[in-house]
Amino acid sequence: MATTKAAIQLSSDLLSDSLSVSTDTKCMKAGTTADGLDQMRMGYNEIPTGTSFDLLDATTAAVDKANKVYICNNSTDETYYVIITIDAKPIGRLYGGDWMFIPWNCDDATHDLEVQAYTGTNDIMWMCFHEGETLGTSAD
Amino acid sequence: MATTTATLTLISDILTDTLSLSTTATLTKTTTSTGIEDTAGLSRKKITSTAKGTASGQVTLYTADDFAAIPYLYIKNIETTAGYRIYVYDDSTSGDPLQFQLDAGDWGFIPMHGDKTYKAYATNDPTTVEFMVLGQDQ
Repeated sequence: MATTKAAIQLSSDLLSDSLSVSTDTKCMKAGTTADGLDQMRMGYNEIPTGTSFDLLDATTAAVDKANKVYICNNSTDETYYVIITIDAKPIGRLYGGDWMFIPWNCDDATHDLEVQAYTGTNDIMWMCFHEGETLGTSAD
Repeated sequence: MATTTATLTLISDILTDTLSLSTTATLTKTTTSTGIEDTAGLSRKKITSTAKGTASGQVTLYTADDFAAIPYLYIKNIETTAGYRIYVYDDSTSGDPLQFQLDAGDWGFIPMHGDKTYKAYATNDPTTVEFMVLGQDQ
């Protein structure tokens, strides 16, 4: 069984005492604590402005399965950003240096995860740990 | 100026060699390098609704436009029984589309767009959720 572990550490001094929250999780297939996610996709893309692109296509095979997605905006200009949408509904905005880790819900096959860049061409690094993908048959 | 950081560590043996990634984001006000100053605080609540929509018992995680863009949402399903799933949906959009699903033990960190209200329901009553919003109040 493959083991994928994701941990977060949140630290802040904006309260009168230090705030420190940390947790981790093993990324499991849906509905089990015994079988880890065993498939992944990853990429690094330059996203030009002006167009919304599909970063990850939702498929019927992924509906109600576990999909853990990491996206990081590697742009160094803090005014550059991308808007992340699911099925054309905005869910997040990543400025240069920001990251997200989301348990993506593929409620149906229209729930594509999309990205659009603003201000300039943004560099995006992403990973998706998932289950249940079967490659499509070659058409040519 | 307050300093708030979020660090992600990802380790996996799916590949033939170990994948290990660590990244840190400093949470700042939009388009500046000035740190965020506000938080709604760390909350722990029981979700008692097993459906979205008009039924009671959902937990509101974030109310649209409560914070200036961008509010950061940390959320964790602290249940330990597999299948005790939390669904997060967009309560501002027609049809209340589902956006995230957290099985037992799962967590997420989402720099939100900020203009949508997010609510949660669960497959089991009750299911406990822990969450926090960080950002810039307005």
